[in-house]
Amino acid sequence: MRWFFLILFAVAVMFAVGIGPRGEKFSKPPLYVFNDMDWQDKLKFQKPSEFFENGQGARKPVANTVPIGYTFPTSPDSAPAESEYFLNGTFGDYYGDGMPAEVTVDNALLQRGQERYQIFCTPCHGTSGNGQGIVSKYWAIPPTANLLDPRVVAMPDGQIFWTITHGKGLMGPYNGAIPAADRWAITAYVRAMQAAGGSK
Amino acid sequence: MGNIFPRWLNLLPVQALIGLGGIGTLAIAVIWYSFTPKYTRVGYQPQQPIPFDHALHVGQNGMDCRYCHSHVENSSHSNIPNAQVCWNCHGPGKVKSDSPKLEPLRQAMDPNYEKYTGQPIQWVQIHETPDYAYFNHSAHVNRGVSCVECHGKVNEMEVVSHEKPLSMSFCLDCHRNVESHLRPLDQITNLDWSAHGMDEKDREAFYAYVADKAGKPVAEVKAGHEGKEWSQEAMGAYLKDLWKVNPPQDCAACHR
Repeated sequence: MRWFFLILFAVAVMFAVGIGPRGEKFSKPPLYVFNDMDWQDKLKFQKPSEFFENGQGARKPVANTVPIGYTFPTSPDSAPAESEYFLNGTFGDYYGDGMPAEVTVDNALLQRGQERYQIFCTPCHGTSGNGQGIVSKYWAIPPTANLLDPRVVAMPDGQIFWTITHGKGLMGPYNGAIPAADRWAITAYVRAMQAAGGSK
Repeated sequence: MGNIFPRWLNLLPVQALIGLGGIGTLAIAVIWYSFTPKYTRVGYQPQQPIPFDHALHVGQNGMDCRYCHSHVENSSHSNIPNAQVCWNCHGPGKVKSDSPKLEPLRQAMDPNYEKYTGQPIQWVQIHETPDYAYFNHSAHVNRGVSCVECHGKVNEMEVVSHEKPLSMSFCLDCHRNVESHLRPLDQITNLDWSAHGMDEKDREAFYAYVADKAGKPVAEVKAGHEGKEWSQEAMGAYLKDLWKVNPPQDCAACHR
């Protein structure tokens, strides 16, 4: 019996050493003994799929696809759900000025714009819009625009919106990350900063 | 006829019981300790194609979680950023654009690069709910549950690892005791925030915020809290009332 307990103790120590404490870092995928329908053959966000040839679960839209809820303006008097100006900041080949009809300028819009600005724009343009964000400061990316500059103040609203949407120079496009309504909120907030900060 | 069985055999049934008891205890201890996500998942730290450093980007550079995980407020799924988002800062002529660590990014984004594939970067998913559990990020983030509650202090992680068990009991612990986990909406992505860090001014602002949203005078909001100590639970109770937070505990809430 004494031997039995000694062996049991030895086995227990072996388990304890083999298992190790909880929360230890490891890089191999976690082991699943009973899968219990944990992983099912269905399409999931941003996951691969063996069903499609290129192995990606997400599909690109077919060429000329129109997003749901978007209606093409057919004539200048027609009032589509979302106008070209709302989505792109332009009328044909020209930048528009002023806020589109879909957007109401009020305190809520400016607060939303401030929040979104601080998420997406501060890394480069800085909290106050002076172009001295962390990226410009530490890595000296040369021409980060000072949003309080007279050049930007003189831009029509549509051009600022268009720049957020499509990027310009070294700045990338933000139409994928920020929905159109929020881009207008940011545009309004940039205007508010310019009004508050003057042109300096 | 002599005794067939030797005398020591009298003890055998007792010894067998004790022995089986010992083996059983050991087996139960091993299963109890190591068969739950607290052991199997916590600490999972896979190697990513690009060694993205959250401690640098968020902790030092002060970027918001939502710069990259941009759809977390609108979608059930918190997106891994597409390569364009990395490219915004790490494109040609920008920050550290020729670092060898960014090789997979150039393969995905730079058409002039000789090894250009145009294929997405294959990040390894760390936090994963089973396919029969439907977790909705937007429902939590828009009602005062911070990223840190489930993901830990990612802003201090040089390499992200699985920090909380994310087991069903983990979900239920919070759903049954929601006051301990709610915070004001503007602090959702501030992973270092805590209710204890709020000074007198912050508390006044908090009362004003609740009063404004609830449409009540500030004095009435404060009256419910007189003489009590300021704590996460006390503040969470306000937010729970304000937003009418009623976390479901039935199976169909998460399993469909």
